[in-house]
Amino acid sequence: MNADALTAERIGLDWLRAAVAPVGAFGRRHDERIAPYGPGDEAAAHDEIAEAVALAARLVPDEVGVVRAALRALPEPTPIVARARAGDPLNDVDFYELGRFVDALDLLVRAWDSAGGEGPRRPPALDGVRAALAPGREQPGFYLADGFGPGLAAARAALAGAEAAVDRERERIAAGVRDVLGIDPAGDEFVVLRDAYDGPVPGDVRIVRETPTYRVLAITVVAPQRDAAFAALADAEDAARRVLSDRIAREADAVTAVTRALGALDRLLARVAFAQRWGGCIPELRTTGIVFADATFAPLAAALAARGHRYTPLSLALAGVAVLTGPNMGGKSAALATAGFVCACAAFGVPPPAASASIPLLETIVWLGGDGPAERTRLLSSYAAEIVRAQRALGGASPRALVLVDEFARTTGPREGRALLIAFAEALRSRAAFALAATHFDGVAEAAQVEHLRIAGLRHRAIAAIDGADLDAALDAINAAMDYRVVDARTGDPASDALALAQLLGFDAALVERARRLYDSE
Amino acid sequence: MAVAAGRSVIVVGTAKNTGKTTTFNALRAMAKRRGSAIGVTSIGRDGEPADALDAEPKPRVRLSAGTIVALPAGLMPRSPALAILEVGESSALGMMVFARVVLPASCEIGGPPTARAMRATIDRLRALCAGPVLVDGAIDRVAPLAGGDDAVIVATGAASGATVAQVAAAAAEVVARLTLPGRDAAHERERVVRVWGALDARDADELLATAAGATVVVDDPTRIAIRGALFAKLRGAVDLRCERPLRVVACTTSPVGRESSLSPRALVDAVAVATGLPAFDVVADLYAAGRDAA
Repeated sequence: MNADALTAERIGLDWLRAAVAPVGAFGRRHDERIAPYGPGDEAAAHDEIAEAVALAARLVPDEVGVVRAALRALPEPTPIVARARAGDPLNDVDFYELGRFVDALDLLVRAWDSAGGEGPRRPPALDGVRAALAPGREQPGFYLADGFGPGLAAARAALAGAEAAVDRERERIAAGVRDVLGIDPAGDEFVVLRDAYDGPVPGDVRIVRETPTYRVLAITVVAPQRDAAFAALADAEDAARRVLSDRIAREADAVTAVTRALGALDRLLARVAFAQRWGGCIPELRTTGIVFADATFAPLAAALAARGHRYTPLSLALAGVAVLTGPNMGGKSAALATAGFVCACAAFGVPPPAASASIPLLETIVWLGGDGPAERTRLLSSYAAEIVRAQRALGGASPRALVLVDEFARTTGPREGRALLIAFAEALRSRAAFALAATHFDGVAEAAQVEHLRIAGLRHRAIAAIDGADLDAALDAINAAMDYRVVDARTGDPASDALALAQLLGFDAALVERARRLYDSE
Repeated sequence: MAVAAGRSVIVVGTAKNTGKTTTFNALRAMAKRRGSAIGVTSIGRDGEPADALDAEPKPRVRLSAGTIVALPAGLMPRSPALAILEVGESSALGMMVFARVVLPASCEIGGPPTARAMRATIDRLRALCAGPVLVDGAIDRVAPLAGGDDAVIVATGAASGATVAQVAAAAAEVVARLTLPGRDAAHERERVVRVWGALDARDADELLATAAGATVVVDDPTRIAIRGALFAKLRGAVDLRCERPLRVVACTTSPVGRESSLSPRALVDAVAVATGLPAFDVVADLYAAGRDAA
């Protein structure tokens, strides 16, 4: 599904991507391999959404959070097993990290079971890796323990014995230094002042440096047995690491399979968490219309919730091209955005937050109206940029496109603007595209012979003015008074409510009254 | 001493090859004699067999069994194997590994790249070994220890001067900077100037012109980026203090330099007098009391 930057911003696609982003590295890799669903992908999209909805109903929401936290905390074993598979010997930190991965996987599986998961999505265990590492994990962490190689214990005992022999020999020489020089050498190297002792040095003590006032001496322990024992242990440890690396290499496919399963689970749980937060339905994926009931434009609902306000879900039935009229602050733009958002959810395999939906998988969603990031930095005027985008939208208009038009041509003369919008709606209709055009121009739907919808508007106009500077109070008052339903424009009172809203928002009462008289006299 | 009290001890040098690693090894040996479990790490990279610049041999860091060490994965000795306890943050040489020494091992030690990570590494080491933590340090990177109960030992020696007097003077200047006193409301002047970030030569010039007699406060002693006469002049003109002081407890001396050697006895005495701190020559087993002891 294609959507440019302006469209992505306006229909909440950027927000949606962030909201359903996997939390772990495996999930992110898995996600990158899956393109949004488009025409022909209906079965796959349905299956993913249906599974998310089913799990959202079955899993305990708090426990889903625990599983996702476990997914986020998983260490990354992939580069390690890749090196093992290629025949590189692994090091002890690699083995430690693999052990950490196995432990983290156990925690995740327990969290999954606790959440009520089970079933085919239950991550498989890595018993082979666990068994391979077991000798080194009897204590927390990892140690290349004697159990990893038949010669390790003997080699370590030999080195420990040789080290003890070196220590004894060193102590024997130190005792000689104490006897002859009268000083206790704390380290292998020590200084003797000539005025304290200037005679011959004991055997096995070499002179490192001489000055007129002192000598630097060093205890020298020649220890070929210790060196040989060290070399033998080094060989034995490397051999043990090679054997263990080979065992890990044989488990590499299992590790890869687990990381893939975890990636898929991460993506799925992101959708489950979304559905648990916002509700979600399994949409019918049909090309006959864009129809949904009680849908939530989640980005706006989240913003309102953050300020303590309630979002009113809305319903829409769009068979082809429709014009949407209604009052300011009545939710026309939100209705457009919701249509795009619901369709985008399906394209991303996300349960649309609605009571029900029947929508197509689209190739393109385009938003017209307002400036996007590209327009804000260009030399074209708003009107010119809008015309360029409209022409591009027309080029991509098809039965698999949704064009969302938010007050097209509002920045030019109203007569010409209205005419352009009528012509544009006619062209979209002729291409059988889905389109919803919000406007304050009169008579566009009738002239273009497309459906006319309107926001129901204020339930009662006799409302007390509030302080327009208090945004929260204004939102509360409008929420209480506004009927956000999208209805057939042929029903009810089609007034735009602009004057009543101005009054509600605290605009000067005399000016509102003067405007009302002017409006009524026309 | 800090080692006996189970605190962290960081060893810093006044210059390269002033016996920092030798001091570090002497502290380890002392802890071993006392039977203390110790933790060991480094600010920077230490324990390499030869100096990276002049290829002269350097003392290896030899760790005895039971020591808990924090070092980057890239510096883990292949043999004898260490018992890995846990893995921490990343450094330029890989993740920081906390490991227990099973058989005595010689190795390079490195540390994490940031002050915050260094502080976390020291704290984690203290928790893991339940004993003192020894840090092979760098003089410009001791900020993580500022404000805590950790002790700093300054290693100085013939590499930082051609004569006993030069070495002692260099040590005195370093100690004067590192022992900058903390803020003290009772003695603070009427005017207090807070310097954020490093206090460099331009700041010093401005302070000398505009803030004579005031209390000047920096974050910690490592923020003092001026040396020599300028530092001495500023310290004489203002009441220079810091938010998070360091605890410098002693100096060590190394009479042997690449180019010259000095009298061990004369050097240890001169450094003690110049710095006012106890001075030790850990190789010659010499000691001179500092001002406090006197």
